[in-house]
Amino acid sequence: MSATGIGAAVRRKEDRRFITGTGHYTDDINRPGQAYAYFLRSPHAHATIKSIDIKAASKMPGVLAVLTGAELAADQIGNLICGWMIHSKDGSPMKMAAHPALANGKACHVGDPIAVVVAETLAQARDAAEKIAVDYAALPAVADPAAAQKAGAPSIHDIAPNNTIYQWHLGDGKAVDAAFRSAKHVTKLDIINNRLVPNAIEPRAAIGEYDAGVGTFTLWNTTQNPHVARLVIAAFVGMAPEHKLRVIAPDVGGGFGSKIFIYPEEVVALWASKRVGRPVKWVADRSEAFVADAHGRDHVTHAEMAFDQEGKILGLRAKTIANLGAYMSTFSSSVPTYLYATLLSGQYEIPQIYCEVDAVYTNTVPVDAYRGAGRPEATFVVERLVEVGAREMGQDPAELRRKNFIKKFPHQTPVIMAYDAGDYNASLKKALELADHKGFGKRKRESARNGKLRGLGFSTYIEACGIAPSQAVGSLGAGVGLWESAEVRVNPTGSVEVLTGSHAHGQGHETTFAQLVSERLGIPIDNISVVHGDTDKVQFGMGTYGSRSGAVGMSAIAKALDKIEAKAKKVAAHMLEAAEGDIEFKDGKFSVAGTDKSAAWGDVTLNAYIAHKFSGQELEPGLKEGAFYDPTNFTFPAGCHICEVEVDPETGNTDIVAWTAVDDFGVIVNPMIVEGQVHGGIAQGVGQALCEGAVYDKDGQLVTGSFMDYCMPRADHLPALRVDTTMTKCPSNPLGIKGCGEAGAIAAPAAVINAITDAIGSEGLTMPATPHVVWAALQKANSIPKAA
Amino acid sequence: MAGETAAVSMTVNGKPITANVDPRTLLVQLLREHLRLTGTHVGCDTSQCGACVVQVNGKAIKSCTVLALQLQGADVLTIEGLAPADGPLHPMQEAFRENHGLQCGFCTPGMIMTAVDIVRRKGHDLDDRTIREELEGNICRCTGYHNIVKAIAAGARAMRGGGAAAKAAE
Amino acid sequence: MAMTMNGEYELPVPPQTVWEKLNDAATLKACIPGCEQLDKTSDTEFQAVATVKIGPVKAKFKGKVALSDLDPPNGYKISGQGDGGVAGFAKGGATVRLTPKNGGTLLSYNVDAQIGGKLAQLGQRLVNGAAKKVADDFFANFANAVKAG
Repeated sequence: MSATGIGAAVRRKEDRRFITGTGHYTDDINRPGQAYAYFLRSPHAHATIKSIDIKAASKMPGVLAVLTGAELAADQIGNLICGWMIHSKDGSPMKMAAHPALANGKACHVGDPIAVVVAETLAQARDAAEKIAVDYAALPAVADPAAAQKAGAPSIHDIAPNNTIYQWHLGDGKAVDAAFRSAKHVTKLDIINNRLVPNAIEPRAAIGEYDAGVGTFTLWNTTQNPHVARLVIAAFVGMAPEHKLRVIAPDVGGGFGSKIFIYPEEVVALWASKRVGRPVKWVADRSEAFVADAHGRDHVTHAEMAFDQEGKILGLRAKTIANLGAYMSTFSSSVPTYLYATLLSGQYEIPQIYCEVDAVYTNTVPVDAYRGAGRPEATFVVERLVEVGAREMGQDPAELRRKNFIKKFPHQTPVIMAYDAGDYNASLKKALELADHKGFGKRKRESARNGKLRGLGFSTYIEACGIAPSQAVGSLGAGVGLWESAEVRVNPTGSVEVLTGSHAHGQGHETTFAQLVSERLGIPIDNISVVHGDTDKVQFGMGTYGSRSGAVGMSAIAKALDKIEAKAKKVAAHMLEAAEGDIEFKDGKFSVAGTDKSAAWGDVTLNAYIAHKFSGQELEPGLKEGAFYDPTNFTFPAGCHICEVEVDPETGNTDIVAWTAVDDFGVIVNPMIVEGQVHGGIAQGVGQALCEGAVYDKDGQLVTGSFMDYCMPRADHLPALRVDTTMTKCPSNPLGIKGCGEAGAIAAPAAVINAITDAIGSEGLTMPATPHVVWAALQKANSIPKAA
Repeated sequence: MAGETAAVSMTVNGKPITANVDPRTLLVQLLREHLRLTGTHVGCDTSQCGACVVQVNGKAIKSCTVLALQLQGADVLTIEGLAPADGPLHPMQEAFRENHGLQCGFCTPGMIMTAVDIVRRKGHDLDDRTIREELEGNICRCTGYHNIVKAIAAGARAMRGGGAAAKAAE
Repeated sequence: MAMTMNGEYELPVPPQTVWEKLNDAATLKACIPGCEQLDKTSDTEFQAVATVKIGPVKAKFKGKVALSDLDPPNGYKISGQGDGGVAGFAKGGATVRLTPKNGGTLLSYNVDAQIGGKLAQLGQRLVNGAAKKVADDFFANFANAVKAG
C-alpha cells in the first residue's frame, strides 16, 4: 500500500478551504446585478386559494416582480415529477398528482409556495411579501398516514381516491400464509417508523441566471446530482433545452438525500431570472427548510415473523402504510417499495416473505429518500422482530441470529435481491468481542446497584447499495439508468484531472478518488484534481446517493484508467521501440519486459501530446479517456452494531454508554473517511431512535418546526464510538467496494430500541424514545404485575 | 424601514471597517454581505446551530443573534482571521484536518471558533465529557461529533505550544 | 394548532348595560389588546387590524370580527379570523354568557383559538400562554370599561 493509494488514511485535500472559511457554498456566490427571491408560503395545511392580490406588494420599494402560479401556468412552466413508476397490485399505475412549482388554486401543505417576490434586497422582498393578500378557504386536513385512507378523510387530489397513490406488494402471500400455519411461534409487532427532517446544516439555495444574448440559463444549486436536476428541469419542467441549461453544484453542505430532489424553488429562481432579466438568488432559512425540504421515513407497519421449534425463521409478512406527503417528490415512490421490501430478508435465510405497501397522500411536506431510504425502515422491522422473537422464545438474541444467518453465497432471497458476498458471523463475532459481551452481566449488576437499568441491543443489518444496475432498476420502474460516468484527462506534464458524475457534499471524493488514481498511475496525490458538480465540465452523471460513489462512481474512473493505461502503453511502446505487449506499467513507470529500458509517466504523457514518436494516423495524439460504468448487481454492505444503554428509571433518560460497530464494506479506500461516514450515520440513527421526530397536529400544522422543538442529536447524546470492520470483497465491481455512507443510519435505530427495551423489560416503545416515552413505558410495564 | 441606514465602525480581523447598514442588519449579515467574509455561515434562524459563531472582544458569540449596530467599536474575529491566508494554520484548524473533524465543512468555522473559546475558558486539558457538554450550542449533521471531540482535545493540547497563528489570533 | 380556555368576571352593573358595551365598537376596540382599527361594516361585523406578538413572531393581523348567536342581553358569540401574512393566521371565538348575579352580572366566557403557519411552527410552545393573556387582557379591560361606565 502506498502512502496515498487505496487503503491509506490520507488526510483530506478539500479540508483547507473549509477550515479557513474559504469554501464556496451556493450562498457564498454572488452574481453581478443579483436580485433576491422570497417565497410566500401557505399557513394552511389544506386550502382553496380564492384569490391572490399582489397590487400593494408590487408597489413596495425595490420590488421587481411578484409572481404566482397563474404566471407560471401562462408561461407554460411544467410540473415537478416523480421519476419512478410503481404499479399497484391490480396493475394500475401510481396516481401522480400535478405538482406545480407555485400552487395553482390550492395549497396542499403548510409551506406550499404560493407566490414569490423578487426584489433588490432580501429585506425588501420579505417586506413586500407581507403585503400580498391571499384569500384562502381553509379545508379539512389530514396528516396521519393511517387516517388518510379512512372513510371521510379529506380528499387531497382528485386523481387519488382515498388519498391512495398505490397499493403495491412483493412476494408470495399464499406461500407465506402456509409457512405461518406451520409455525411453532409467531412474533407480531406494530411499528411506527417516525418521520424525520433531514436538516443538512447548509440550507438549500439556488441562483438562477438567464443570459438573454445567447438564451442560456445557469443554475447554482445545492444539489447532490446536478445532471439529474438539469435533465428534469429541461425535459419535464421545460425551462430550457438541456444544452442551454448549465447546473453548477458548488460546495454543498451536507445532503443526506434531501438535496437529490428537484424542488420548486430552483425552478422558480431560473424562471424569475428570465422574467426580471437579472440573476435571482434564493436561500432558505431554517424555518423554511422545515416546511420545504422533503422529509424522511414515516411508515406505519404491522409485521409478523414465524419461527419453527428450533427458532429457524419460516416466514415474514408485513403491511406498511407509507406517507408520501402532499405531492410525490422526485424518487419518493421507490423508497417504500424497491428500497424497502427488497431488504426484508435481512441477513437471514427466510424461505418466504410477503410485503404489502400502501402509499398515501397527506397534507404534509413531501416525503422522499433520507439517508438509508427504505433500508432503515426494513432493518428496523427485521431486527426488532428477531430480537423480540428471541426474547419471547427465551433464546439468546445473538445465537438466534447466528442460527438464521445466510452462510452460502450467492444467495437469492424471496424478495428480488441476490446477495453476492458476505460473512455475517464474522462481523457478529468480532462485535461481540469488542463490545465485551461476556462482561455485560457484570456491568448490568453494577448499573443496578446504582439504580440504573442497563440494556444491550443488536442490529445485524444489511443494505443494498451501489445503486444500481440500470437493467434491474429499469425493470422495476426507474425512469433513469443508474450507471456512472467518468473522464480522465491527463495533461502533457502528467498531472491528471478526473471528471466524475458523482458529487461530494462531505464524503471527501476529492481525496478518495485521487487515491485511486494515485494508486493506479503511481503519481503523487497533489498532481490529481477531482472535478465534479458542473454540467458544463462533466458530460453526464447520476450523482451521489445510495452509497454509490465508491462502488459505481469509482468503478467508472477505474474503467477510464484502464483505457488511459492501455493508450499510454501504446505511446510508451513507440517511445521505447518495443512491442505494445511487452510494455509493463508499474509504480508510474513504463518498462519493456525483460530489459532495463523504461520511460517515466511524465515522459509518456508528454509524448502522447507532442506526438513526435508516432504517426497521428495509427495512434491519435492526446491522453483523455471516458467511461460509463453500469454495475452488474447491487452491493450488499452488512454488519453488526451493538448498542449498550443505561436507563434512569426515575426520569426515563437513556444514556448510550457504549457503541460497537463492525461493518463489512468490502475494499476500503480511506479508512479514516469510512469511519467518519459510520460515525455520522450512527448519529443520525441515534437521533431517530432517541430524539428526532416531525410532529404534525391534527390540523396539519408542523409543531416541531425549528431546532427549538425538533431535537437534533448533540455531542452529548453520543458516546465515543468503537468502529471496526471485517472484509469480504464485493465481486460485483472491479474495485471490490460495497459502500459505507448509509450503514450507520440503517443499523442504529434498531440497536438503540433493542437496547432500551432490553433494559426496561418492555417492548412497548415508539421512536423517538424520549425520556417521557421511556418513563411512560416503564410505568405501564410496572403497573401490569400490580394489576394482575 | 428600507432606505434608512446608520453607520457603524468596528475592527474585523484586525482591520478597521465602517459600514452604512439598515438598522435591522445582523452581525452575520454585515460580515457575509457587506464585507464578503463568507466563512461565517447561517444554519438556522433560532440561534441553535452555531454555524455563525465568531469572536467579539475575545469571546465566542453567535453572530446571527446580535445587531451590527450594537457592536460599535468592537473587535471581531472570524474564521478568516484565525490564521493568515496561505500561512500556517491555527493549531485548532490543523487539529480538525488531522482528526477528520469535518465532512461537508458547513458547521466547521463555527465549531472551530467555539473550540478556541472552549480552550480559553477551560484550558488545554479537555476531557471527552467537558467537550461534549461545551458543544451544546453547535450542531453537526455529518460527523456524529466523534472526530470533532477528538480534534478539539488535540487542538487544545497543541494550543498550549502556541504556534505563530495561535499567537496572532490572541 | 388549537387551544381552549375559559374564565369569568363579576361586574357591578346589570346584564343590559354589559350587553350594550359588548356591542359598542369603541369599547371593543379599546379592550382588544393590540387593536389598531375596528370599523363596523354591519350590525354584526367589523373590519379589524391588530398587532399580536407570540414568542419570536410579531405580526399585524388584518381580518374580520363577527358577532353571532345574538341573545340580548344574555350573550353572544364573538369570533374573528385574521391573516398575519408571512406569519400565518389566527382564528378563534369566544362564547360570552351574561347572568344576573347579586344585582350585577356574571360574565363567563369560553374561548377556542387556532393558529397556523409560522406562528404554529415557531410559537406553538408559547401560544397557549399568549392566547390566554390576550383573552384575560380583553376581559379585564372590558370589566374596567364597564365599571368606568
